[in-house]
Amino acid sequence: MRRLAVVALLALAFPAAASAHATLEHATPGFQQRVETSPRAVVLGFDQRVTVLPGTIRVVDALGRLVSAPAHPELSGRHVVAPLHRLARGPYTVRWHVLAGDGHVVSGVYTFGFGVAAPPPTEAYGASGPTRSEHVVRWLYFLALALVTGGLGCRLLVVRGVLPPRAEKRFFLLTGFGALAAIDIGIIGFILRAEDALQLPFARLLYGDLTPIANGTRVGTAFVAMTLGFAFLAALLFLAWLTDRTALLWGAFALALLLTSGLSLSGHSAADAGSSWKSELADWVHLSAASIWIGGLVQLAVVVLPLAPELRRASFLRFSSLATVLVALVLAAGTYLSILRLPHVHDLWTTRYGHVLLVKLGLVALALAWGAFHRLVAVPRVAAGGEGSLASLPRSVLGESIAGMAVLLAAAVLVDSKPPPRGVPAQTVARKASTLATKTFVSGRTPRLRTAAGP
Amino acid sequence: MQPPAEHVHWLFATGFLILGLCLLGEAIVGPDVWRTRAWRAYLWPGIAFTLGVLMFPVMTFFTNSTIHMLAHGAWAQALMFAGAAELGLVRGKLTSPWWRLAMAFAFLVSGTAFLVHEQNAWFFQRSSFLHHLMGWTLVIGAAVPLARCVRPRSTAFGGAFAATFLLIAVMLYCDRDLAPIFGHLSPLAGVQHR
Repeated sequence: MRRLAVVALLALAFPAAASAHATLEHATPGFQQRVETSPRAVVLGFDQRVTVLPGTIRVVDALGRLVSAPAHPELSGRHVVAPLHRLARGPYTVRWHVLAGDGHVVSGVYTFGFGVAAPPPTEAYGASGPTRSEHVVRWLYFLALALVTGGLGCRLLVVRGVLPPRAEKRFFLLTGFGALAAIDIGIIGFILRAEDALQLPFARLLYGDLTPIANGTRVGTAFVAMTLGFAFLAALLFLAWLTDRTALLWGAFALALLLTSGLSLSGHSAADAGSSWKSELADWVHLSAASIWIGGLVQLAVVVLPLAPELRRASFLRFSSLATVLVALVLAAGTYLSILRLPHVHDLWTTRYGHVLLVKLGLVALALAWGAFHRLVAVPRVAAGGEGSLASLPRSVLGESIAGMAVLLAAAVLVDSKPPPRGVPAQTVARKASTLATKTFVSGRTPRLRTAAGP
Repeated sequence: MQPPAEHVHWLFATGFLILGLCLLGEAIVGPDVWRTRAWRAYLWPGIAFTLGVLMFPVMTFFTNSTIHMLAHGAWAQALMFAGAAELGLVRGKLTSPWWRLAMAFAFLVSGTAFLVHEQNAWFFQRSSFLHHLMGWTLVIGAAVPLARCVRPRSTAFGGAFAATFLLIAVMLYCDRDLAPIFGHLSPLAGVQHR
């Protein structure tokens, strides 16, 4: 026992050799730096001594050609230097991995440009763009966003009054679940993006350096802002439940709408050629209105209609009016964005983006038809006081919301797809996309170079 | 712009120290005396909840490895969940005493995250030793909030509960390199890097 106490005290008294595994502190050229003269070497500086491995630093050009010589350690082993051949103008990808003092292989990726702007690390050579898993994750993220935004919108704009205790509890459960789901799905989505950029098997991804992706890309900035935002929103929701203060729900609703803009500011509407504040605004209106519509339907079907009998007639009629405005906004903003991204009508059937858009439009038509049935058939009956129509409403409203969720799935695939570049005929793009050169930095679709041992 | 990791550890260590001292105070004087002022009942659950919210910036801004980010995400959510459940109980919004299991669950999740997050052996370095120690303290310590579900007014369990947080606080204070303030105590610690 005494020996154990001595060991414990000694362990506490002596300072640690390092704070866990090695951290990259600086790099030359820097993350996404544009340099005007050809750099002679890539230098990575770590916070502790590291061991150089075969292929510790690999610098490749846009075609994947190796332009670096084998790396060697410098400055007591805390720096690793990889000499470079004379570079041609263009973007370059740096992939590195070193053995840290704790025995773990720490890896990372970043980009720089010689004479040109560097692409974000998510478009580094070898990254292949969004996968099917990312489509599903993005869809789940949209659903979580709809649960939060639509739930709060329905509670504040449609129900307005006090809900019965059981309904209130279910409202907070659904909305709170949406907020937490948004945090966790956001984390999964970010890691999937990072996995694609780093091109590492999962075991090594655990020690992958995510800093260039978190700090140097729109996806990373959106991830940071939205994770923090949803954490704060979850706290606001909880305090609203704890203190019965509806005012806090208004704050949460405003924050939810603000957070929706995170997707608009990190997606096509902000990043692609031809984007402007108008496209960002249209995207935000499109997504916000759709979220309130679909999430509101879920709240109506699961909370208000089954658990608040005295509120359901007024709520249904009020929601119907609100939904008309929301659908008009969704259609107006969606039409503008479609024209912006697909300037030619034939793009609809000649590009992959167009194909997905057609599927989405089909699903939108289904959801709109269902909504029109509610507006034109159910609303007059409910307004006339028909109790029978109220009884079957929850299932019918749930059906409309499921159609809306299917639209969100198509939207998730659409967001992950690349619209054809403006001013370039789609056929040319399709032809170009088949070549390795343009795969790397233009289309976002690139060959996978993943191996069991990593790059 | 990022604060050194040491400062972040000390910030959370201070949070856990205050939380543990509140719990110790409640265990010593008893819940009836402690709650003569109503706000005191909200004190430690409120601190736990706030620490959970504050853990999110740590998760998002310290992204030098995936495993580090995931562990901090788990701690953030476990703290928020456990703090929220205790606040709900204090406020009377939650009535079932089984909600106290939320703290036991948070201990288990946090302890597991410590153990999974620390991949080195116990004696690799001081931080490894302390990570293992914190992990096992929380995993084994999960029995304490579990016991408090059954005997909520027990002084012994109340004291043990407070002691768990105080232990975690001390270990967090010791967890990082002392170089930024005191310089290295031993040449074995390597080059000073801050």
